[in-house]
Amino acid sequence: MNAVSSMVHLDRGGRPGTNEGAPARISVRNLDFYYGDFHSLKNITIDFKDRHVTALIGPSGCGKSTLLRCFNRIYSLYPDQRATGEILLDGRNILAPNVDVNELRSRVGMVFQKPTPFPMSIYDNVAFGVRLYEKLPKAEVDARVESALRRAALWDEVKDKLRQPGLGLSGGQQQRLCIARTVAQGPEVILFDEPTSALDPISTGKIEELIEHLRTEFTIVIVTHNMQQAARISQYTGFMYLGELVEFGATNNLFMNPVKKQTHDYVTGRFG
Amino acid sequence: MAVSTPVLPAAMAGEPAGARRRVRPGRRVADRALKLVSAVFTAVGVFALGWILLMLLWRGFSALGPSVFTSITPGPGSAGGGLANAMVGSLVLTVLGIVVATPIGVLAGTYLGEYARVSKLASLVRFINDVLLSAPSILIGLFVYVLLVAPFGSYSGWAGGVALAIIAVPVIVRTTEDMLRLVPNGLREAAAALGAPQSKVITLVTWRAARSGIMTGIILATARIAGETAPLLFTALNNNFWFSPSLVGGVSNLPVTIYQFALSPYQNWQELAWAGALIITMTILGLSVVARFVIRKEVAR
Repeated sequence: MNAVSSMVHLDRGGRPGTNEGAPARISVRNLDFYYGDFHSLKNITIDFKDRHVTALIGPSGCGKSTLLRCFNRIYSLYPDQRATGEILLDGRNILAPNVDVNELRSRVGMVFQKPTPFPMSIYDNVAFGVRLYEKLPKAEVDARVESALRRAALWDEVKDKLRQPGLGLSGGQQQRLCIARTVAQGPEVILFDEPTSALDPISTGKIEELIEHLRTEFTIVIVTHNMQQAARISQYTGFMYLGELVEFGATNNLFMNPVKKQTHDYVTGRFG
Repeated sequence: MAVSTPVLPAAMAGEPAGARRRVRPGRRVADRALKLVSAVFTAVGVFALGWILLMLLWRGFSALGPSVFTSITPGPGSAGGGLANAMVGSLVLTVLGIVVATPIGVLAGTYLGEYARVSKLASLVRFINDVLLSAPSILIGLFVYVLLVAPFGSYSGWAGGVALAIIAVPVIVRTTEDMLRLVPNGLREAAAALGAPQSKVITLVTWRAARSGIMTGIILATARIAGETAPLLFTALNNNFWFSPSLVGGVSNLPVTIYQFALSPYQNWQELAWAGALIITMTILGLSVVARFVIRKEVAR
C-alpha cells in the first residue's frame, strides 16, 4: 500500500504527507472529498504518527477542518457530503461501508471550536460517552469521571460542584470539560478543530499545556488558524491550500525551511 | 454638506440645533405622523381588549359564588345552580386531548426537526400541518362526529378528547420542530462524535436542550384547547348532568355551556355564562403565565 501511494505522489515533487521510519496511526491515501458537487479535498495523502501532535494549518477554506472531519466520519451526518479514497486507522479502512461509525467515533474523539457542553450536570457530561458503551457500576463511573477530569486539568476547579450544570462553567472550563468528556471514553485518537479560537489567552495556554500532556497517551491531530500555536505544540505540521496538502513535515522544518514557495509565503505571513 | 457645517461631529450628536438643519421638514412630519398613528391604533387595540376584560371581570365576579363550584348546571327554568359538572368535564376533556396530542405532536415534530429536515415528504407534512393549524375548528368537530360519534350512535367524551387533540397536535408539532431547530448543530455533532447513535443524540441531548420550549408548546396547546367550543358541539355535546365515568353520552363542559347559557333567556343561566367565561379566561391566563415562567427559568439557566 505504502509503496503504491508513494509512487502516485512522486509526480507532485517530493512526497507530501508521508514520513519515513515512524509507525503511522492514521494513513490517508488518495482522499477526495465533496460537498455536493464541490470538490473540496483533492487527492490527499498523509500519515499521522502515534503519540505525536500533528497540526494542520492553512488559510480559511483550505480544507483542513474538512480533512479532520473525515477521521471520525462526522461529515456523514450530512447526506450531501462524501469522501472517496482510503483512511487507514491501524490498517483498517474507516471509509469502508461496513464500518460502524459509532464504534469508530468512540475510538476517535473530537473537540470542537466552540465548547459544546450538553445541558446536564458536569458529572453527566463526562459520564455521557462512558455510559453509551459500557454498563459500569457507579463506583467505576465515578472513578472514570474523576480520572478524566484530572487529565483535563479541571478536577480541582469542579470537584465540589459535579452536580451543577456544565453550562455554568466559563468558556475555557467548558472546553476542558469537553476534552474530559472525550478522554473519559478512552479513545485512541483525539481530533481538535480550532479548540482555542473562542478562548482567551490564559485558557488557550491551559489547553495547549493539556494537549502537550495528552500526547503521551493519544494520537493528536489539531486544526489551527494560529501558526504560533502550531509551532508551539506540534511535532509535525501539514500546510494545506485550496483543498490540497502542499507540504508536510516536521514542524521545525516546515516553519524554518519550507520547501514550497506557497508554504514559505504563508508561514512568513505574506498571505493567509 | 458636512464640510460646510462648522460643528464637530461629536458635538453635533449632543446638539439638536445642529442636526435639525440636516433633515428635510417633510421627513420629520412623516416620522411624527407614523409614530402618532401607531400609538392611536395601539390604544384602540388596548381599549377593546381592556373593555372585554373589564366587562368580564365585573360581570364574572358578580356572578361568582361558592355554588358555582359546588352545584351542577341548572335545568331550564330552575333557580340557582353552578358549573361544577362543566368544569370537571372541561378538565377531563382537555387532559384527554393533551394526553393524546402530546406524544403524536412531539414525535412528529421530532421527525420533522431531526430526521427529515430536508426531505420532500417533510416539506409536505410541514405544509399540511400548517393548514391544519388554521383549519376551522367546526370542521374538525364534524370530522370526528363522522368518525367516532355516528358509528357508535352516541356523543362521548372520547370523541371530544380526540377532536381537541386534533386541534392541539399541529400546535405541538410546530413548536417542537421550531424548538429543535434552535438547538445548535454543534451539540448534535458533539454527541455524535462521542459515538452516540441518532436515537441517543435526540433523546439524551437535543430533547433535553429543547425541553423548556417543547413544554411551553404543550402548555400553550392546552390553553388553546381549553377554550375551544366548536369541536365539542358535535362530539362531547353538553348537558346538565354529571357525565358517566365511561364518558359515553354527552360530557358537560364549560365552552359549550357558556355558548348555550349566554344565548338563553334565563337570568341565572346568563350569569353562569359570565362566571364560566371568567373561569376559562383565568385558567388560560394562568397557563400562559406558567409557560412564560418555564421559558424564563430556562433563560436564567
